[in-house]
Amino acid sequence: MSDRHVIQAAEVEFEYRPGQPVLRGASLTASAGKLVCVLGPNGSGKTTLLRCLLGQLRPCGGRILLDGKPLGRYSPRGLARLMAYVPQTPRSAFAFTVQELVLMGRLAHTGLLGLAGAQDLAVARQAMIMTGTLPFVSRTLEELSGGEAQCAMIARALAQQPSVMLLDEPTSQLDIRNQLQIHRMMQRLAHDWGMAVVCISHDVNLAARFADELALMREGQVLAAGQPLDVMREDILEKTYDVHVELIRAGDDPIPFLRAR
Amino acid sequence: MSEPPAETLQALSAGRLLRDGLILLAAAIVVAGACSMVGVAELTVNVWRMRLLRLATASAVGSALAAAGMALQALLRNPLAEPYVLGVSSGAGVGVLVGSVLAARGLFRIGWAGTPALALAGAVGSCLVVYGVAQRRGRLDPYVLLLSGVIVNVFNGALMLAILLLSRSADIINFVGWGMGQIGDATDASLLWLCAAFILAAWSVLFLRGAWFNALGLGDDVAGSAGVPVHWLRVETFALAALMTAAAVALAGPVGFVGLIVPHVCRMIIGADHRRLVLFSGFVGAMFLMLADTLCRTVGEWVSVGSVPVGIITAISGGPFFIHLLRGRLKESSA
Repeated sequence: MSDRHVIQAAEVEFEYRPGQPVLRGASLTASAGKLVCVLGPNGSGKTTLLRCLLGQLRPCGGRILLDGKPLGRYSPRGLARLMAYVPQTPRSAFAFTVQELVLMGRLAHTGLLGLAGAQDLAVARQAMIMTGTLPFVSRTLEELSGGEAQCAMIARALAQQPSVMLLDEPTSQLDIRNQLQIHRMMQRLAHDWGMAVVCISHDVNLAARFADELALMREGQVLAAGQPLDVMREDILEKTYDVHVELIRAGDDPIPFLRAR
Repeated sequence: MSEPPAETLQALSAGRLLRDGLILLAAAIVVAGACSMVGVAELTVNVWRMRLLRLATASAVGSALAAAGMALQALLRNPLAEPYVLGVSSGAGVGVLVGSVLAARGLFRIGWAGTPALALAGAVGSCLVVYGVAQRRGRLDPYVLLLSGVIVNVFNGALMLAILLLSRSADIINFVGWGMGQIGDATDASLLWLCAAFILAAWSVLFLRGAWFNALGLGDDVAGSAGVPVHWLRVETFALAALMTAAAVALAGPVGFVGLIVPHVCRMIIGADHRRLVLFSGFVGAMFLMLADTLCRTVGEWVSVGSVPVGIITAISGGPFFIHLLRGRLKESSA
């Protein structure tokens, strides 16, 4: 496992409207082989930070480096070969089959028409095996359950063969079983595949259980970042969410369980 | 569940696209040939030549509007988007009408390239207004865009009526027919070739963007993360749609709903892959308008005014189709 910093946001500032900053010097580092979960209340700037990391929003201050190079120096195609994104809701405006969907992940590796070759098919197949979506090749997203559809979106992102994976609340609309499945998958991507995985989440307990690092955001800033054991403290969590919390320890599990009061 | 073999993964190939293209071209030629035979008048060489010119005009207009509609639908992720509904056609119409009225009064020399240039100016103007209103935080709101398109359309319609009031009474009947979308017997061949060249060039670029349109169907952020330059694609698609619509309006006036019906029917038949859809929309649009115009020409031989605007046929079939799609969309939203 490498300790090389893969993606690094330093003092990032962003505003949609002048004078109304959404990010106020947010800093975040995601290294190869690590799953980093970004937590925080609604409106704290999590998704905006993710969109900045993705290169879809241009910060008005600070800098974002990918493998030591400013994000702006990458072409869209070059960036897509290094970084992939999974949205909150697996949705498609048109009725693409899972196969068509996953092969879209090869866009940055194919020619102008996006025609996939044998190598692209092999990569797509591998991504489908990894996510368990191979049996659904001919089905459309609408014909899949929420969990299966999200797995198909992850397979599409994996087909890009990225070294950084960004996920925006991928489990927010899933049941507990699917939440666990997606979190295990993210952990495998980080630990077994050596990716830097950044995931926005609202489930503190699940994030603390699976993540290598947590980053807690409030009002456009990262208040605390580090290993779950270091960050899961009542004072930090209360400051982040502005609610009274209680940390409960169960058995010999080192990670405490959060209960809001 | 057992794992399907590797062969079950199949990707679209260049060979399949080529085969699709050849089959569609052959079908379009057959339709053109059949349509050229239909009619009351005796089929002399001159009559046949005139009909072929008219069919070529219809096919250029049909392919332009259908391909532009498909591109706008893909861009906006909305099956209701098309040049007519978004006000692009009426914008081009205003441009042409201003030039025509000024030319009729001897105040302006329009020239053979003037009509498409004026149409393009009007189409681009409408696009800029609609795009400007709907853009927020670097994103396009498809519903605001559609709504602003409808408003621009109404505004342009009023503008065209106002311009008609300034024209000579002898010209009004021609302008009214043109305003409904009409393919005449005497299309200027130079104008046709110029417009056809623009349409073919724009269609070719859209064809190359098929894979990008696919990714755009998953949202701007997903498409951007997959390597699609989303902002550039938006500007380019609007520009190409404006160019194709302007060429179509310069040839036949604002023909409505072709860009709505044809892409949707193609999507139902061949699926959602825009690399094939661009190809199919263009050819099917050409065939659709050739058939519709042949119907108009045939009926026109029996009615007192001597011609029926093809826009009437497309509006009669497109209006209910639009309502059907809108109801489906509303059901989806409320589900």
